[in-house]
Amino acid sequence: MRKGSFFIKLVLSVFILSALSGCGYNTMQKNEEGVKAAWGDVEATYQRRNDLIPNLVEVVKAYAKHEKETLTAVTEARAKVGAMQVPKNITDDPKAFSQFQEAQAGMSSALSRLMVVVERYPDLKANQNFKDLQHQLEGTENRINVARTRYNKAVEVFNTSIRVFPNNLTNNLLLHLSLKEPFKAEPGAAKAPQVKF
Amino acid sequence: MKKIFLFFVLLLCCLPFTAYGLDVPRLEGYVNDYAGMIHSSTKSKLEGALRGFEQSDSTQIVILTIPSLEGENIEEFGIKVAERWKIGHQGKDNGVLFIVSKQERKIRIEVGRGLEGKLTDLMAGRIIDQVIKPKFKQSDFDGGFIAGVSALISATRGEFKAGQRPVQRKQRNFPPFLTFLLFLGIFILILGSLSRILGGIAGALGLPALVYLTALPVGILIVIFLALVGLGAGLFLPSLFFTKGSRGGGYRDHGGGFFFGSGMGGHSIGGGGFSGGGGSFGGGGASGDW
Repeated sequence: MRKGSFFIKLVLSVFILSALSGCGYNTMQKNEEGVKAAWGDVEATYQRRNDLIPNLVEVVKAYAKHEKETLTAVTEARAKVGAMQVPKNITDDPKAFSQFQEAQAGMSSALSRLMVVVERYPDLKANQNFKDLQHQLEGTENRINVARTRYNKAVEVFNTSIRVFPNNLTNNLLLHLSLKEPFKAEPGAAKAPQVKF
Repeated sequence: MKKIFLFFVLLLCCLPFTAYGLDVPRLEGYVNDYAGMIHSSTKSKLEGALRGFEQSDSTQIVILTIPSLEGENIEEFGIKVAERWKIGHQGKDNGVLFIVSKQERKIRIEVGRGLEGKLTDLMAGRIIDQVIKPKFKQSDFDGGFIAGVSALISATRGEFKAGQRPVQRKQRNFPPFLTFLLFLGIFILILGSLSRILGGIAGALGLPALVYLTALPVGILIVIFLALVGLGAGLFLPSLFFTKGSRGGGYRDHGGGFFFGSGMGGHSIGGGGFSGGGGSFGGGGASGDW
């Protein structure tokens, strides 16, 4: 009798062990961490751009006093991005995520308008400070692109891993992870502002 | 079967996003002159300088010239090449990629994450504007490359020191595999001591599961083979172990060595020639044209 119940326990533990190895528990956890890390990079690159704006506005202001409107638009867009409360679980929250994307897109389009205006001021374009800022801005826009692409890649991997069988069962029963939001392509925002000499 | 299939689906998703656009050329050495812009004497001079710099500072600077971007953005092409070539050492991320596209007259300096502190976007931009561009404008490409490379070297000197070689990736696969194998062996022994069939089932299930867990790149045939080996091991290993008590230890060691060999089959990484060391890039750097 005793030996029999021991037997059943053993068979059960074999079953559970083999089930755990194939249920994707670890894969899903790892992929979620990947998404989190990629999102951290996205936020950091956007923050970097925001930190550049005040200097840029100052330099442009000194040469292009008549472009108040464009400059105000940039400052306002920056304030809007700065005032935004980014919730911790933003990658799970479609509404907060699209708000974030919208605010950053506003910033991008305000900046690209400013860069078009700058074309009319040769003195400004020749200014070393401005040239330096332009390099920094270009570099930052490129980093944003790279970070966004990598984030989307990580999201794709994660979303796939929680939807396929048998991971979806494990997720429904144990983990309760939800799909993450990717960046959607939008005209204007995906491209860095075109700056030409 | 389903698990294996899933595993490959996931693997497919992990492939880098390089399937479209301009192909990334092969990494041949420090100077990859596909556009034929650099004189051969200049090329050997540049290669000597860059090799010396890597030996002293471990920082890798690599030059690439291409005839045309074929409509692609140089920034996108740059990060694609950086992700493929993995210039710089793993953990240090100290690679610099100096890309020139002849037809579009574009220059890009792609900076690895570990060098972003010294070779900032600003610094890279100034090197392009003030050092490389003036020479390129006069069609003095050799002079431009030499001046650009020496500016890059002086900007990044001292950030890293050559020395301890970074740990090889290959070696990291061993310990978890061995640990699992040991656990599996004990598990099979316990089950097998109760019943031979139970031990056989445990071996047949356990060995493929173990290989799946440690994510070794094996195909379905090998998995089936492993299941058979596991079945055999589960059936006979315990009986040998328990009937011939004192000599069992030697048998188990032998079995371990055997599994080890079969598990690692087809896992060798082709060496030889020049290669990147696994450095990562985050899109830092600057672009310009002449």
